[in-house]
Amino acid sequence: MGKISQDFAPPFKLIAPFFILGSIFYLLSSLYLFTFTSDDLSFTNPQVISFTHLFLLGFVMMTIFGAMAQLVPVVLEVGHFGVELFYAIWPLLLIGTLLMVFGFLYSSALLPYGGIVVLISMMIFVGEIFLTIFKVKKLTLVMSSVLISNTFLFFGIIFGLLMALSYAGTISVDISSLLKAHIYSVLGGYISITIMGLSVVLIPMFTLSHSFSMRPLEISISTMTIAVVLAILASLLHLEVLSYIADILALGAMLVYAYLIYIIYKIRPRKENDVYAISLMFSYSSLVASILMLVVYFFMEKETYLLASMWLLFFGFFGFLITGHIYKIIPFLVWFEKFSPLVGKQKIPMLADMVPYKSSQAQFIFCAVGVIIVTIAIISQSNILIGAGASFLVMGAIAFIRSVLYMINFKG
Amino acid sequence: MAMYTKDEIFQAISTVIDPEVGFNLVEMGLIYDASCDKEGNVKVTMTLSTKACPLHQMILQWVKEAVEKLPNVQSVDVEVVWEPEWNITMADNNVKKALGA
Repeated sequence: MGKISQDFAPPFKLIAPFFILGSIFYLLSSLYLFTFTSDDLSFTNPQVISFTHLFLLGFVMMTIFGAMAQLVPVVLEVGHFGVELFYAIWPLLLIGTLLMVFGFLYSSALLPYGGIVVLISMMIFVGEIFLTIFKVKKLTLVMSSVLISNTFLFFGIIFGLLMALSYAGTISVDISSLLKAHIYSVLGGYISITIMGLSVVLIPMFTLSHSFSMRPLEISISTMTIAVVLAILASLLHLEVLSYIADILALGAMLVYAYLIYIIYKIRPRKENDVYAISLMFSYSSLVASILMLVVYFFMEKETYLLASMWLLFFGFFGFLITGHIYKIIPFLVWFEKFSPLVGKQKIPMLADMVPYKSSQAQFIFCAVGVIIVTIAIISQSNILIGAGASFLVMGAIAFIRSVLYMINFKG
Repeated sequence: MAMYTKDEIFQAISTVIDPEVGFNLVEMGLIYDASCDKEGNVKVTMTLSTKACPLHQMILQWVKEAVEKLPNVQSVDVEVVWEPEWNITMADNNVKKALGA
């Protein structure tokens, strides 16, 4: 086994903190929901901004960064430039996230510090990814998506830092004009394009789908890229018309992407409905529901629909897409480290054996019910339903942490 | 005369199981061809279900080790090809049935 390269599976101790912290932040985000009342539900409310950063930085980014340590070599087909750099990323992201969350809530003086620590963490990540991409001889569409998304992340965090500095009074910039550039760069440019690129590698890998056209992916990535660039220009140049065009293009990009996933789902030979499959079904259903809610918002211009749309996008689409993939990524990494050297020598578990059935199903059911209840709570402005939804989500998040720890400590 | 037939080599490789789907590589239809000369030099032509398979190198190693278990095999050359591209129709019926294809 000496000749086997470790390029495609970095040491698990390097990645484990990302997943453990990510799942803890998922629980903290769920607990945070108990503090909300219907009166707080506004995009300008510091509590909502604080919650958004807790979920996006603590759970979404933390888990994506950990997953990328393993997925980048798989997608780019080259080893990392310096995978050890990931040891520095999670502590910085952890500290930066906490400073930002508390900063928005209690003291804006903390925001510049939080912003800078997050910036350093993400610069290390982006730098490592870029240096790894430079090793690639010929870029495919999926590889290009990694390059595009990380370029947007770079700009997204710069906009974010400028806003944080201004929020704290250190510099003076128009926060409201930079807000759209920040949101679009991070959500549309980084998270969405990363998901688009990686999912067309990972989902067919696990469902064994073949022979589908990549044209919809090309269209969705190009359209989203144009949308993000236009949104940034609209923010900087105060051009309202560009902003509308960006919104329509981003919506179109996500619809084309959803269509591609539907095609991949439809032709899949592997039809078992394990926790991975049902998590993805819920995730993409949430994406469609989020888009529909956004369309309703465009016509009615009522903020609650925009909030509900974002809620479905965050906890429904991003949340379930990430948790679903965790049930594939952690077993693979643990199996690779603990059991692959034993292949041919003794009976070893399959990857599916390493996923705890009860807690993974409990996580799915509780979280799915929680997401639906909170969506209704936002639309109906019901305090009772917010608490009810949060209760389900907390139960689901506890089951998720239990699943993550079970898989990490799996002994066979 | 060849030391081992294609079937005998396939039989040896059928001990290698894909840990993700739980089927062996032969019944998955991933092994395209195998031959052995009279000196015991084996050549295996195979594919993987995806180009992005993170176990790529490991699976090749397992195939090599499985064939090396045959007595008097001198060398094993495993070549990965991407044409024809693998699809589920290449798998055995029991695999298709179990997956629900």
